[in-house]
Amino acid sequence: MSQRKSYAVGTGLFIVLGFAALAYLATQTSSVANRQQGDSYTVDAQFQNIGQLKERAPVKIAGVRVGQVQSIALEPGKAVADVKLSIDKRYDTIPTDSVATVFTSGLLGDQYVGIEYGHAKKYVANGGKLALTRSSEPLEEMLGKFFGAGGTADAIGGTYKVFARFSNVGTLSAGSPVKMAGVPIGQVVSVQAEPDKLDALVTLAIDNRYNQIPDDSAAAVFTSGLIGSQYVAIQPGGSSDMLKNGDEMILTQSAMQLEDLIGKFLVNGSGSGDGKQGAGASTSPAGKH
Amino acid sequence: MNARIERDNIVTQALGQIGACGLFLLQILAAIPRSLRYVRETVRQLWFVGAMSLTIIMVCGLFVGMVLALQLYHVLSIFGGTAATGTVVAISIYRELGPVITALLFAGRAGTAITAEIGLMRATDQIAAMELMAVDPLAYVAAPRFLAGLIALPLLCCVFSALGIFGGHLVGVTWLGIDNGTFWSNMTATVDVWKDIISGVVWKSLAFGAVVALIAVFQGYTAPPTSEGVAYATTRTVVASSIAILALDFVLTAFLM
Repeated sequence: MSQRKSYAVGTGLFIVLGFAALAYLATQTSSVANRQQGDSYTVDAQFQNIGQLKERAPVKIAGVRVGQVQSIALEPGKAVADVKLSIDKRYDTIPTDSVATVFTSGLLGDQYVGIEYGHAKKYVANGGKLALTRSSEPLEEMLGKFFGAGGTADAIGGTYKVFARFSNVGTLSAGSPVKMAGVPIGQVVSVQAEPDKLDALVTLAIDNRYNQIPDDSAAAVFTSGLIGSQYVAIQPGGSSDMLKNGDEMILTQSAMQLEDLIGKFLVNGSGSGDGKQGAGASTSPAGKH
Repeated sequence: MNARIERDNIVTQALGQIGACGLFLLQILAAIPRSLRYVRETVRQLWFVGAMSLTIIMVCGLFVGMVLALQLYHVLSIFGGTAATGTVVAISIYRELGPVITALLFAGRAGTAITAEIGLMRATDQIAAMELMAVDPLAYVAAPRFLAGLIALPLLCCVFSALGIFGGHLVGVTWLGIDNGTFWSNMTATVDVWKDIISGVVWKSLAFGAVVALIAVFQGYTAPPTSEGVAYATTRTVVASSIAILALDFVLTAFLM
């Protein structure tokens, strides 16, 4: 009988140990450990683009976690993401003009919603709405800005359109900046293939403030940095006539493919033993292919 | 009927085994209410298959967690992502390694013991004697062992997972120097109670527990009453449980995740 009792005690210990392990896993190693304790209230925010934001992503003010994303849904009939934020009751003094932004923690980290306080005297209530939001910025755009290709002109005061034909536009796309002397003066409106002429017709919208561009100026597709995005650079000519709306730029230089450049560099370098000069000489025809 | 099955080819034989096993499951389920009378027997079996397996489960869980952290640290350091070590250790243990390895160990440690015990009971006519004494062997022998396996495996899996996390922490934080806070906060940020712990550790190991216990009891119960027959049935318990666990794991993963 005592033998049996020891079984029972041992088995009971085993069961308790098993459940204790489960409780430990569930509470200490999972997101339950992050869930806020107190009551929370819900605030709406609408974003144009939420990127990789997921439900239960943290909501932070000044880097401190104050709540989490409760739900993400598409606003019916609009291409707008409706994000419900569940925020801890303790932090109930968020001004109504605060800005909600989708941030990325680190380069590859998860995304979260950051709230920057505004100056309004009124606070957001339960079910209220943060009207000012900033969407998630795709990494490509940030890199583009970082490498100097971003920062399109503000187009205040309207734009005028000019055309340019390129035999190769590389990865140039609508929205790419147009620069003169490194300063953004407009942007690419469209890139279309011309089936009959076998080239690409690029439409540039240039800010009206920059209407003193000679009509013999050259347009070139450049790449900002090694992996940056591409942009159209305008190299001014010497004519006294200026570009007008609907003009076409005659002198163009197409995008240089990195692969071509590297290929030429390698081939010439190994062949002639005079790599630098060979590569330098061969880049100019590369533009015209 | 047994003789006829043995003469058939391997496909028919396998199908016959599966069918007989399914029918046996129904018999056991029907016998469970009757076995409640022998609840002490269930507790005793739980002690044998569960509590006695704790040592091997704990040691294996510790080493699995340690080797996972070690491997992941070296791979993740290529991408500069060693902070994710804890997360990946936890998720891989909860979702796959915990239930599967625990079930495989359980089949080897406890399943074989059940098969051999029941097979020898059959060989030494103990089961026939029970029937003579009007004790239902299904309720007294088969059902308690089935229940014990069903209950023990999820509990063992929880212990295995907890020790695995501890082992991962030991190697990752104590030895390789990942920051303690990073290790835990990344883990808690990613691991989901329902998707990872409940559906992995609990549901999967419940299913594995049922399968392993059923195969072990079935093989013992239908083993030919010879020493060779019992030996063969024990081997088949391990082989059939391992295949069943891994195949079922794939199916469950497809459904649960």
